[in-house]
Amino acid sequence: MRYMMLIYTKNSDPSLMSPVEAQVIREGHVAVIEESRREGILVAVNPLARTSTAMTVRVENGKTLATDGPFAETREQLAGYYVLECNDLQEAIAWAARIPTSCGGSRGCIEIRELQAIPGVPESHLGSAPLDESRAGVPRSESSKAERVA
Amino acid sequence: MRYMMLIYWKEMDRETIPAEERRRVLEAHLAVMDEAVKRGVLVGANPLERTSTATTVREQNGKILSTDGPFAETREQLAGYYMMDCADLDEAIAWASRIPAHYRGGEGCIEIRPLREMPAVPDSFRKSNAALSSIFK
Repeated sequence: MRYMMLIYTKNSDPSLMSPVEAQVIREGHVAVIEESRREGILVAVNPLARTSTAMTVRVENGKTLATDGPFAETREQLAGYYVLECNDLQEAIAWAARIPTSCGGSRGCIEIRELQAIPGVPESHLGSAPLDESRAGVPRSESSKAERVA
Repeated sequence: MRYMMLIYWKEMDRETIPAEERRRVLEAHLAVMDEAVKRGVLVGANPLERTSTATTVREQNGKILSTDGPFAETREQLAGYYMMDCADLDEAIAWASRIPAHYRGGEGCIEIRPLREMPAVPDSFRKSNAALSSIFK
């Protein structure tokens, strides 16, 4: 089962973060990325640019209205995401608990959303941004088999 | 530049939406995907299960708290996303305006967010983790 983990964090100014704090957050992400990759369950991961660069598009009566900013003002803001292949929600929660959400001293949260399979849509259209060659989209059993062989 | 396009729409009871309307929306998505693939701009796309299946995880005083539901109640709900590699924001807006964001009679919008390139990691880490270097450009 594929789960999307949406990272919501306070949109604080990165320049307010101490180098040590930035380093701790980065290492936290690197640890999660490295381990989930080793287990063959990492499908995609990426940070988003700050919400000041967001744009919201609505089509009304055939006209496109584009406005600056995210679609809703929220206490915390979407800052990035992971897509992980987990056996069940419990496993997804365990991974989510390890993803760093803090920024500038305040903690955020992770929203876990199951990806939906749509019959009739080719796999090539989905797949959510494979990271590179090997692992992306490889079922866990096959990837661990490959690891054992290696 | 890669852009994430987040689809926010009013969740409606599946049973209340006529089958032909659901088919029309699915076909419109397929048309966008097909053309985006043909033009080499589609990085990925996926619908999400309904927000009633969402779980939110927070850490408080060293304890993990997981609660049912999305992180915030909003007028519209995150229903899926596209990721596209566009020349600029104008191109991203043009694609976004073609992505179906509501059923007839409903409301919805697309939030466009540029992806941020992964920050650099120390050389020592890169050397010991060759497989990761492709994501930390």
